[in-house]
Amino acid sequence: MATRKKSLLKVIILGDSSVGKTSLMNQYVNKRFSNQYKATIGADFCTKEVVVNDRVVTMQIWDTAGQERFQSLGVAFYRGADCCVLVYDVTAPNSFKNLDSWRDEFLIQASPRDPEHFPFVVLGNKVDLDNRQVSTRRAQQWCQSKNDIPYYETSAKEGINVEMAFQTIAKNALEQEAEAEVINDFPDQIILNSQNNRPGNPDNCQC
Amino acid sequence: MVQTNADGCDYKERLIASVKKEVKQLMEEAVTKKYVHEESSSVTSLCGAVEACLSQGLRRRALGLFKTSSTTALLHKIAKSCPEAEHISKLVQEIEAMDPNKRSSSSSDSFQRPPMLKKSSSNSMQSASSSSNATGNASTASAVSASGSGSVSSSSMALVSMKYLWIRLALYEKRLTKIIEYLVSNASSFYDRDSLVADSDYGSILSSLLVGPCALDFTRAKTADHYWTDPHADELVQRHRISSGRRSSSTCSRPAIINFKRSLNTSSDEASTGSFKSMATASVAKDYVESLHQNAKATLLYGKNNVHVLPKDVAEPMAGYLSLHQHIQTLTIKWTPNQLMNGYNEADEGEDIDKEAFWAYALNINVDEIVYVHCHQSRGEDSGGTVILVGQDGVQRPPIHFPEGGHMQQFLSCLETGLLPHGQLDPPLWSQRGIGKMFLWPKSMRRRILPSVMESVDETPIDYVFRIVSKSRHEEFAATHSILDFVRSTPRRAQLSSCSTTGSSDCSNKSLSIDQYPVESPLLLLQQQHAQNTSIEMVCSTMRRQIISRAFYGWLAYCRHLSTVRTHLSGLVHGRITPEMKADEEGLTKERWQLLNADGVLENATEFYRLVYFGGVQPDLRQEVWPYLLGHYAFGSTREERKKQDETCKHYYETTMSEWLAVDAIVQQREKEKTARAVAKLSSSGSNSGNERTVRAADLDAGGELENEVFEDISDISDPGDLEFDDEQRQQQQQQQQIHGQQQKQKHQQQQQQEEVSVSGMHLCVKPIPRAMKTSTDSGHVDEGENFNELDEEAEQEQQEKINAEPPIASCSTSTASSYETVGPGGAPHQPSNSRSRSVLSPEYLSADDLQLPEDEEDLKPPQQQQQQQAAVIITNASVDIANWERSPKAGNSQQMSPVQEQAAALDALQQPKSACASPASSNGGVYSSELLEQFGLNLHRIEKDVQRCDRNYWYFANENLDKLRNVISTYVWEHLDVGYMQGMCDLVAPLLVIFDDESLSYSCFCKLMERMIENFPSGGAMDMHFANMRSLIQILDSEMYDLMDSNGDYTHFYFCYRWFLLDFKRELVYDDVFATWEVIWAAKHIASGHFVLFLALALLETYRDIILSNSMDFTDVIKFFNEMAERHNAQAVLQLARSLVLQLQMIIENK
Repeated sequence: MATRKKSLLKVIILGDSSVGKTSLMNQYVNKRFSNQYKATIGADFCTKEVVVNDRVVTMQIWDTAGQERFQSLGVAFYRGADCCVLVYDVTAPNSFKNLDSWRDEFLIQASPRDPEHFPFVVLGNKVDLDNRQVSTRRAQQWCQSKNDIPYYETSAKEGINVEMAFQTIAKNALEQEAEAEVINDFPDQIILNSQNNRPGNPDNCQC
Repeated sequence: MVQTNADGCDYKERLIASVKKEVKQLMEEAVTKKYVHEESSSVTSLCGAVEACLSQGLRRRALGLFKTSSTTALLHKIAKSCPEAEHISKLVQEIEAMDPNKRSSSSSDSFQRPPMLKKSSSNSMQSASSSSNATGNASTASAVSASGSGSVSSSSMALVSMKYLWIRLALYEKRLTKIIEYLVSNASSFYDRDSLVADSDYGSILSSLLVGPCALDFTRAKTADHYWTDPHADELVQRHRISSGRRSSSTCSRPAIINFKRSLNTSSDEASTGSFKSMATASVAKDYVESLHQNAKATLLYGKNNVHVLPKDVAEPMAGYLSLHQHIQTLTIKWTPNQLMNGYNEADEGEDIDKEAFWAYALNINVDEIVYVHCHQSRGEDSGGTVILVGQDGVQRPPIHFPEGGHMQQFLSCLETGLLPHGQLDPPLWSQRGIGKMFLWPKSMRRRILPSVMESVDETPIDYVFRIVSKSRHEEFAATHSILDFVRSTPRRAQLSSCSTTGSSDCSNKSLSIDQYPVESPLLLLQQQHAQNTSIEMVCSTMRRQIISRAFYGWLAYCRHLSTVRTHLSGLVHGRITPEMKADEEGLTKERWQLLNADGVLENATEFYRLVYFGGVQPDLRQEVWPYLLGHYAFGSTREERKKQDETCKHYYETTMSEWLAVDAIVQQREKEKTARAVAKLSSSGSNSGNERTVRAADLDAGGELENEVFEDISDISDPGDLEFDDEQRQQQQQQQQIHGQQQKQKHQQQQQQEEVSVSGMHLCVKPIPRAMKTSTDSGHVDEGENFNELDEEAEQEQQEKINAEPPIASCSTSTASSYETVGPGGAPHQPSNSRSRSVLSPEYLSADDLQLPEDEEDLKPPQQQQQQQAAVIITNASVDIANWERSPKAGNSQQMSPVQEQAAALDALQQPKSACASPASSNGGVYSSELLEQFGLNLHRIEKDVQRCDRNYWYFANENLDKLRNVISTYVWEHLDVGYMQGMCDLVAPLLVIFDDESLSYSCFCKLMERMIENFPSGGAMDMHFANMRSLIQILDSEMYDLMDSNGDYTHFYFCYRWFLLDFKRELVYDDVFATWEVIWAAKHIASGHFVLFLALALLETYRDIILSNSMDFTDVIKFFNEMAERHNAQAVLQLARSLVLQLQMIIENK
């Protein structure tokens, strides 16, 4: 039967502690904001179904612990990710500064097939606060320098831009998955080529 | 022109083809899944195809007002004359009205909505009346209008974001065909002449294509397809409770994903007896209930109600529901008594006991097990029939009586269909269902059958016996089948079985295929000449040998297994089994405690631990008891000793705290300035933003520089080029030294006393600290960490500070008391920022502190304090020299020093004459090395973040107690700067603080606790060890669970335990349970197991094992389940189970 494969998109949220990863996830999935979240220990995830390009896909959004020490745990969770969301806090310059290392660490640990074009999305969270310290321009510059990562300024508390950002995340993750499928087809083609070459070899031997 | 016409035709052809394709797909989906989810991708694509057809050749002008060729506009247009369209149009408007903001994403034609709305409001009266009576489909209409707004509002959020909204709705409402029919018949007014809809052929094709999809039922419920949006953990538990308790399960949306191996086992075990009598586990009942429905794993081939079955031990035949299910590999016949089937709806509590009995009658027969199907029918009457299934073991299943009307024949033909790919009925069921006689086939084709069975059956006039031949089964059960083959080796059988064998012509040989009996095969070849009897003997002996060898290997495996247990797991539990509590004991109650703790001396440690381990501690005793459990108090210590110890701890704690508070103040000051600067920078750039061009030009010019600016600000805490900052630093130091100079004179006694406790002993401002802490906690101190609150104030002061270059807070960096006082009372503004005035002022505070000196200090004051003071000064000076030598080359050296040394050095530097301030060291970040400041600052920042969000919903931390938490953790981190703060520490301190409500005691106990826990953190290696041990434990104590986890992967599958181990289950349980669990863990170390947490984890897993197993949860499912179950566990039950698991392992190891 020609049922299409049910897609599961695995999305990892990374960023310094208390930039609002858990809040963003919960705002997106449950449309709720709570100020009662504790520091995430270990990892948790939520799932949400989204329609992307007329396809129903399930996003599995992984929320991780923010302290970089705990990234040794990451390998188990990063594997097979379709998109990585980097979150920083616009009121905490340090969290922005660390985006670099989060990105690098992710690429090392998840080791995606095509690190150059692996989809990232950067979210500058907590724009509802008025003591902003990282300017949009600077964040955009950084994103541009990293192969044009889409950038959104969000507020998990107010729900600003969250839906839109995750829609982009889903879209990019889906594209990544589609590309991965194309890449999967490659080995077959190579085998075919090698088979085609084979008849040539005996000829050479005979000569 | 001709060309375009041909193109148009081609295009229409393609449009129709795509609709056909999508309809086909949707119908296929509907057939195999019974339900189609509304959001299924095939629905979306069908709607897309229909939309494409409808929008082709749509006349723009026909829509009048609406300029775009939108099909939604078309719908609204025809709503006036077509009742179906009107109904849908109303729904669309309702939904879109729900969420006006999301219009843009809703449908392609959202721009037309506002005029639409107006229109609908004018028509609304008319439409309401017409919609209910105009449509023939009255039931649907009324249902929709009844549920109307409610259902729409609930689903509108999801719907509104969908494409092709109206087509979707029309499809769900089953009115799409009607609407399209209408459009086709009125095509001339809306469509171009050459459009698809107006085309006489294509138009009708389109509408007739959609008849099928419009007959489908769509559901928003989660179908098997929606595997990933699993039920919430609560729901799983609830379901489990239902199926285990009442065994009447709701029609679960989640399919019965049975572990295949398990389902095979159960079916072979239970089905062989033909009933559920032996079935005890609830999960099977649940599976059973769920499996009655068609789902992803099983296709329902046949279902008939009121089929009578005469179960064993029952006099009267009972009516029930007979169903035939096709699984991937197997075919199952199920019969469920009506009483059970009805039970789902009634859910009648009173009938529970009866239902239990009925479960025993239910049939669940795996067709693989069945060899013969006997059919009996009274001659001459068309009065139903009876089917008896006979298993390969010769056991008859209870007879199944079909009602009249050819149901037996239908059943048999369904059975035959179900068998088809891999097996068949033998003889085949001919389709000659004539009048009177149902089964006609030549007598010659009847099989030779077992005579005994035949005789018992032969009484009835018409009866037929079918054999079920299955190729796959034949391969699987070759050994058992071989016997049957020997008995009746028929040519037909041979033909079938030849698939599984190669070459040889003898049938006895074929079934014992070479693959399966590699060793025996040469022997068997020799047997070829022998008579059949001999070969049966041969086979029997082979089987016997196999059975024996299996038994042997089983035993061997068990022995190996046990030795593994002993070698690997004996370390997990204590060898000595402590007797459990007597029935009348209740843990450590007040009475027992008084008995044990006679005269304030606790001697009997074993008894103490035993009571705690088995029964816990009475809540109000915890404050007294926990220090023993954590090893803070020694057993046998007297009251005085403990008091002294507490005091020592307190002083140590306070000293340490004063040290880091000093650093904290510096760090905070720097941070504030940085923040202010960053904000200023941002706002200045913001103010420029009006003049965009200039800004951009500036960006381009200073691009590289700007890029790094933020980073510089953050990272370089002590930027050497930061002159302003250096000035502040220097002045701070000057102040500090001045303060210290005065302090020195005033505080001999403290100095001396401090030497008792602190090895470094050079710190001078011990005295003010207790007060400092008091103010910090009691006065609701705003300053700490609340940078943001102060920010405005800060910004205002920025100007002054620039002039004075004098930090408001830093001046109190050593003398913390003054810092709190400046902020504490009445929010008084910062002291005049002038080093002189400050140094004059500070003695005031200090003297104030002195006045408050506790009396007990004086008790301890020895007479010859003066002398000792002198000595102290000398000693410190000496160490200063050394320290300075170490430091002077470059500040980086200080990294190599231990934190204590470093502090000593830093504090010594304070005591240096003023000139020392100008030393290079000071300009590199003051008296503390910049690395230290940076490192500790970062830690403080993290602590602050986590403390703020640690258990803020728990009453204890609702107020200023969070500061205590912060103090304890900061002190610990200061003392263990190499380890640093790690997330999770807050969670470990919090319960201690709640119990003790005392910072220094909590701190000491936390240190003790961390001796074990630190290894769990990423810096230690205990976590991997825990995972490995968990793996072994599960392997030994629950092999079924182990199989599940093993099938899903490797050690990563124990990551769901990560938080459990890291925090000793603190996040999994509510506070009261955390207390109870922790004390048992601590006591267990001395009584039963040093790794009690493992058993707790296992107990937690076992508590939900049936749910985990029956849902065949994988890695992610388990993580999700336990995260959702956090704080919902029954802690006492889990503890009890954990203790029993320890005992179980102890027994296994003991039993050598």
